Amino acid sequence: MDDGAQVLFAFADGVERSVTVKSNETILDAGLAADLPLLFQCKSGSCSSCIAKLIEGETRQAAGHTTLLRSEYEAGLRLLCQCEAVGNCRLELGYDSEAGSVRATKAKAFVDEVEKIASNVVRLRLELAADNWVDFRSGQFFQLTVPGVGAIRSYSPATTPRELPMLEFLIRLLPGGVMSQWLTDQATPDDIIDIEGAFGAFFLREKVRAPHILIAGGTGLAPMLSIVDELRAQSGRKPPVLLSFGCTDPDALFGLDAIKLRQQWMPGLTARISVDNGATGDLLSGNPVDAVLAEDVSDPNTVAYLCGPSRMIDAAFARLEALGVNPDNIFAEQFVSSSETGSNP
Amino acid sequence: MSDGETSIVRRREVRGTGDAQAARVNDSGLQSQYQPYKDAAWGFINHWYPALFSEELPDDAVEGIQICGIPIVLRRVDGKIFALKDQCVHRGVRLSAKPTCFTKDSISCWYHGFTFDLNDGKLSTIVANPDDPLIGTTGLTTYPVEEVAGMIFVFVREDDYPLDDVPPVSEDLPFRFPENSERFPHPLWPAAPSVLDEHAVTKGMHRTGFGDWRIACENGFDNAHILVHKDNSIVNALNWTLPLGILPTAEDCIEVIEDDDAPKGMMQWLFTDKWAPVLENEKLGLKVEGVNGRFYRTSVVLPGVLMVENWPEEHVVQYEWYVPITNDTHEYWEVLVKICPTEEDRKAYDYRYKTFYKPLALNGFNDCDIYAREAMQDFYADGSGWDDEQLVSTDVSPITWRKLASRWNRGIAKAPRGVEGKIPTTSLRMRRTAEGVPPGYKVQKIEE
Ligand code: FES
Ligand code: FES
Ligand SMILES: [Fe+2]
Repeated sequence: MDDGAQVLFAFADGVERSVTVKSNETILDAGLAADLPLLFQCKSGSCSSCIAKLIEGETRQAAGHTTLLRSEYEAGLRLLCQCEAVGNCRLELGYDSEAGSVRATKAKAFVDEVEKIASNVVRLRLELAADNWVDFRSGQFFQLTVPGVGAIRSYSPATTPRELPMLEFLIRLLPGGVMSQWLTDQATPDDIIDIEGAFGAFFLREKVRAPHILIAGGTGLAPMLSIVDELRAQSGRKPPVLLSFGCTDPDALFGLDAIKLRQQWMPGLTARISVDNGATGDLLSGNPVDAVLAEDVSDPNTVAYLCGPSRMIDAAFARLEALGVNPDNIFAEQFVSSSETGSNP
Repeated sequence: MSDGETSIVRRREVRGTGDAQAARVNDSGLQSQYQPYKDAAWGFINHWYPALFSEELPDDAVEGIQICGIPIVLRRVDGKIFALKDQCVHRGVRLSAKPTCFTKDSISCWYHGFTFDLNDGKLSTIVANPDDPLIGTTGLTTYPVEEVAGMIFVFVREDDYPLDDVPPVSEDLPFRFPENSERFPHPLWPAAPSVLDEHAVTKGMHRTGFGDWRIACENGFDNAHILVHKDNSIVNALNWTLPLGILPTAEDCIEVIEDDDAPKGMMQWLFTDKWAPVLENEKLGLKVEGVNGRFYRTSVVLPGVLMVENWPEEHVVQYEWYVPITNDTHEYWEVLVKICPTEEDRKAYDYRYKTFYKPLALNGFNDCDIYAREAMQDFYADGSGWDDEQLVSTDVSPITWRKLASRWNRGIAKAPRGVEGKIPTTSLRMRRTAEGVPPGYKVQKIEE
């Protein structure tokens, strides 16, 4: 009986779409063939962009691997590029039916400024070339092609779409990394760089009135600054926002002025800055996850955004859940391990 | 570059050099603190603004105005006022240009008859197309209205600003006395009245200012501009001798007020030892003897409401608004408030207004502020003035205001779409100007 299974997609904005999935195709492919605005990127089970929640029915793991944790799988989470439908099922998506409409585009950009802002972080400011444009939502990322090398690295802007054609990236320097080498040895204003984007299902869910907790490790601060600015621009009463940011030691810290400015512009923004070693003054000793306290989660509808290395994400998930944050309200963007690509996210 | 491929070029936009030198007060670090204010050329949105004096909107009247780039139509029905976006969803015509109302609870577009419910703005019918599927699915944004002491206030909001989040009008009006008399003592004059007080009567005028609303607003509480007023007839008539200027002497010469659920703004401690009059400039051979003027005090609250206590006379207070119309026009409101419990009080106030306050204060004195603001406009019109101005210590007032406004505004108005003044040089605007009708605040009604 291969007339296929009926798969129902429920988008966060209440829009529902049903698609027939044949037994030999992935749910993602079937959805895309039917022109559904599904988020995806690698189609190989590693980026998690295509994540969805299985509410009813059953799926089968297709060939390939999955980065889902066992607990996540048991909670019903599925990577659509990695599963086939066993029978009729219903899947819930964490984004609106319009979210996928931000299609990735290729663009040329000029380097405006390259500045080392911490022991191992460079701020790269770009301006899109004339007649070039991109679109994104705060939290999403772009792929940058390292000039002269051709390698591709992914970074999330620290700026918002409102600042376009300007884009600002915070890039961690890695010994021997090709992007790092280009930034430190060659990049100069007026260089041209290829970018493509935006990608990713990690982006600010708009108009959520509940308190927001943002946890950032290292250059994971970039999408958080974009999210903070987006929240500030949102109309209506702003939610309380806690930004917990951490680095290994004071030398590695950056962006503190930017955070302070935003605190001045946003009465509802609290910031906590942690360092693992050598805390002095206002700095907290420890990591940005521990800096989140029980009293920060007084509202059961609290939402959280996490960006940093995988260890931090795991710890943050565990802590926030323990403090009572609904796991459905936690959104995370993980750095791909640095040995592989040297990029964030 | 291979053939057929277009070359990659920079956008040709003049950008500032961004190197504000350190000697001036407003170096680039300070400037970034009030960046949101620098972005607010079209005003702060999601705030209460005065729209009209009550007498400008009698029963059944329809009027069109524009605030923060949003055209708004007001209609009064059986005493109650409704406000809708004045831009027909069909083809963008302003309903107020040729008011057409068939029922008490609706307003129709005079062009093709799209009809909107006054209460919720919904497209309720189309005159000649009553079964169109569009009906009920779209509509115009509505704006909350309050009428206080002879003034109509409108909450100018973004289309998606929730009505539940609309604060009371009192949060966008000046500080009140005597409630604040202990916090802000005023031993030299009686408690200033408020437009919200019982028996408050407002008198005043509004006219279009040709310039950026921020320039106008900052002029209102700029302590360094006494010079402009030195020859005003009110000064001569009342035998005042003004100092050359006043200088801050203490860190806390201005107090910022950030109370919850209350107006956000700042109070200047004028006529206390936190500000000192400047009586002499040796280099210029200037010396002022026997200073003798009025005691007054200025404060400002969001979205840019000035209060001058004890001005122009005791028991009277002057309010001013600089309501953004476009990014280079604003409606300048000068309003006096006095408590008049009896008919007799009202008459006396009215007489005093006509014979003294209006000619000497609102016109004579403030006219001179208007030309001073216009004189600044070219420097700021292309945006570069905000980067290039070289501020000094007396400018603590505008700087404090810019910072607090950056923090407490409820939204920065975006450049509007399809609205008069977005493109300042349309042929229609130029024709009207040539015909003697410059850009302004109220809609130009169609005459037949
Ligand atoms: S598309 Fe990357 S995990 Fe499915
Ligand atoms: S423009 Fe208003 S009905 Fe056509
Ligand atoms: Fe003045």
